Amino acid sequence: MATVASQAVGRAYRPRSLAAKIALTPTILVMLGCYYASITWTVYISMTRSFLLPVYHFAGATQYHRLFATPRWQVAYTNMFLFGALDILGTLAVGVLLAVLLDRSVRFEGIFRTILLYPLSISFIVTGLTWQWILSPTIGVQQLVRSFGWSDFVFDWITQPDTAIYTLVFAGIWHQSGLIMAIMLAGLRGVDREIWRAARIEGIPVWRTYISIVLPILRPLMVTCVVLIAIAVVKSYELVVAMTNGGPGFSSDLPGKFVVDFEFERANIGQASAAATVMLGSVLAIVVPYLYFELARKNR
Amino acid sequence: MTTASRQARIGRIGLYALLVWVCLFFSIPLLVVISTSLKTSDEVRTFSIFTLPAAPSIAAWIKAWASACTGLNCGGVRVGFWNSVRILIPSVIISVTAGSVTGYALSHWRIRGANVIMLLLLLCAFIPYQVILYPLVKTFSTIGIYSSLPCIIAVHVIFGLPVMSLLFRNFYAGLPEELVKAARIDGAGFWRIFVSVMLPMSVNILIVATILQTTGIWNDYLLGLIFAGRDNMPMTVQLNAIATTSTGIIEYNVNTAAALLTALPPLLVYFVSGRYFVRGITAGAVKG
Amino acid sequence: MSAVSVVGLSKSFGTLQVLRDIHLSIDAGDFTVLLGPSGCGKTTLLNAIAGLEDTNAGVIEIDGADVTHREPSKRGIAMVFQSYALYPTMNVRKNLSFGLRVRSVPRQEVTRRVDWAARLLQIDELLERKPSQLSGGQRQRVAIGRALVQQAKVFLFDEPLSNLDAKLRTEMRVELKRLHKELGATIVYVTHDQIEAMTLATRIAVMRAGRIEQYAAPDDLYETPQTLFVAAFVGSPAMNFMPGRLDSGAVHVGRARLPLNGYRFRSSPVTGQEVVVGIRPEHVVLARGEPPEQTIVANALFMEPMGADTLGWFQFGEHRLSARLIPQVARGLSGEVRLSLLSDHVSLFDPASEVRL
Repeated sequence: MATVASQAVGRAYRPRSLAAKIALTPTILVMLGCYYASITWTVYISMTRSFLLPVYHFAGATQYHRLFATPRWQVAYTNMFLFGALDILGTLAVGVLLAVLLDRSVRFEGIFRTILLYPLSISFIVTGLTWQWILSPTIGVQQLVRSFGWSDFVFDWITQPDTAIYTLVFAGIWHQSGLIMAIMLAGLRGVDREIWRAARIEGIPVWRTYISIVLPILRPLMVTCVVLIAIAVVKSYELVVAMTNGGPGFSSDLPGKFVVDFEFERANIGQASAAATVMLGSVLAIVVPYLYFELARKNR
Repeated sequence: MTTASRQARIGRIGLYALLVWVCLFFSIPLLVVISTSLKTSDEVRTFSIFTLPAAPSIAAWIKAWASACTGLNCGGVRVGFWNSVRILIPSVIISVTAGSVTGYALSHWRIRGANVIMLLLLLCAFIPYQVILYPLVKTFSTIGIYSSLPCIIAVHVIFGLPVMSLLFRNFYAGLPEELVKAARIDGAGFWRIFVSVMLPMSVNILIVATILQTTGIWNDYLLGLIFAGRDNMPMTVQLNAIATTSTGIIEYNVNTAAALLTALPPLLVYFVSGRYFVRGITAGAVKG
Repeated sequence: MSAVSVVGLSKSFGTLQVLRDIHLSIDAGDFTVLLGPSGCGKTTLLNAIAGLEDTNAGVIEIDGADVTHREPSKRGIAMVFQSYALYPTMNVRKNLSFGLRVRSVPRQEVTRRVDWAARLLQIDELLERKPSQLSGGQRQRVAIGRALVQQAKVFLFDEPLSNLDAKLRTEMRVELKRLHKELGATIVYVTHDQIEAMTLATRIAVMRAGRIEQYAAPDDLYETPQTLFVAAFVGSPAMNFMPGRLDSGAVHVGRARLPLNGYRFRSSPVTGQEVVVGIRPEHVVLARGEPPEQTIVANALFMEPMGADTLGWFQFGEHRLSARLIPQVARGLSGEVRLSLLSDHVSLFDPASEVRL
């Protein structure tokens, strides 16, 4: 997607047309009206004293102070980083590993890919519910291992406040590794085959070639993957709802759920807007440097 | 056999073994859910989801479809299914069409500030829904269509527009500009060129876009929950309601059947479209 | 003892036979070029010697050792690729040293070899740069440098100059010749460009359809080609071919009778035997008083000025002939012209087997 911005309107042939401008207008209106106007409104509200209803009275950073003093938000916000770090690392590792394995010219590649990618077609709700059932101590893994005889086996992360958030990592990796695998495999296949031959003649073993030569070439692509996963983490809502519903209590809450709950259930739009703005800031903090570096790289 | 080729052979076996293991890890959730959905109500009482059904039956499926309870109603996910269909079809058609026209306009016609527009669209694609939910709710209720079918369709179109526009823009930018030149010499204008020149060449990307939107809209939960209105709740919302109503014994067989029914349409699309699905999900990321 | 010896090598891809029973014996210090049109198998042969491709039959020996089943890194070879295949994320120094470091060569030795190669190829100023910051010619040198530091016994080159522009190509050709002389290395080099082959090689193996048609020094290939294909492929502008009939001590071409003095026949010629007569353009001249029965009459078609001389094209019966002419003379030519064929430099081929007689 970053290429979009850098594929500048250069010397290409582009005629003028009123019809084109008219055709473009709805999109631009939607973009400006629905997106940017809404963002502006949300950010503005986050700086007012609004509670149930919008109050257009500027209050600076009051909402933010209150937000970060709220225990539930503190948990949700830290959870985002905990969950995010593990999810990114795990998904990237699994995805890259799978891409490398498939890059070794295996037979039945089609079948492997079909199996590894199907989770992407499944809703986060179904994913969350499925993994909730699997990780449930009463009917899931703990029960299974105990039925083999290890009656002391305990695996109840999903019901424990301290560990509930980590269970989301399983579902996250399961869902998204396939995407990373598909992206990295396309990248691996684009590497000049003669580099492989040169390394082989120099006597460099295959694993070393991947680590020292091929994967470094794909570093920008891996950064893209990290950005994609990170954004999905920030946006997470349905996964939490289906898997733990933020529980037990709010120990596995995430900012995405916090905002929706405060906006519609708790009806505190001031806090919700502040939280949403923090979410927006997090996304921008990832995307803007990324786009900047991508543009710089392409224009070199 | 030399040691070198013996090592290579062992390496290959290890490779396949690892792949098979990972595939098992990936398939187990689906298999477990399928097997649970085929169990009878008795088996569901005390069990682990990893055991196989003793006497597989589709009773749970029928119940999930027609009579499962979501709090108040007991009409099964059938209701949600048709709601999702009614939401899906217009939303996909409108968002794909709008995206293709926008992408086409941005790629082959001179628009002042086109680069800025594309950058803004790109940023829109990354923005979390939560940031603009409330203003949208307020706007729709002011207009008076909040919590209705047109509302949810409009919302899906709005949220699909950036990604669709960029997807089509990248595709059309890859088509040779000579086509447009030749068509203009023949006297064709903006719309004529779109319909007669661009669309016929767009079959692949239209399939990709349709798959992307179908999967995204069918699997959506949050937007449906907020904008669709009680009479139009999509299948995903119904599913979550069914699975989380814990009145008495949890009927896992019904819940898993409901989950499968919900997952089935996009899953079928995935298995049928294969190549296009992959192209769709990587198109957003691998460009260049 | 030969540096590289290939005996009975065959390779097929499925039903496609790419190499047929290849025999090749390369001496140490030789610069051997594998020359031929695309699809002749020259790259496959090079890859087989390198160990990048398996073979169906045959033995490959390098420096006396049987390496037929050995991994490329254990054959004592180094290779330079068409696209250079430099490691893009490493700078020049790391590119040159990576293979050595992987093989646990002591660091001092690594530095010594890298510096030596850099100085030899005049890239010592570029050691800290990345490949993307180098020009095509510089990347080429780094690729060669990477091969040099391996201190291999045999160097393999796979069309290394085809990605360079014409001027750079001539410069690099001189470089390669200089390197060969300084290092005395054994080189096996693949190219489809016969000028490159002729200028660089000590011996050329002309290949066609998976077989080596002739393996000889450039001059020998030029003056005494062993097959019709070699005669037609080597030399630019190409050799002329005409049908002829043998007589005792002479060959009949059209109505002319050309004496064959000193032509070395492989087996005794048979009078009346049909042959293909090959003669190079520089040996076709305007008749200047030779007896008429030793000349032919041809129609002047057009002249191609080439600078130092002009290539004249003539129609002789069903065949087109070319002749190298002095530009001043060629300018005025038209209509019927009498040409003399210098039969001391003629090549005779059997029409069926295409082998030199």
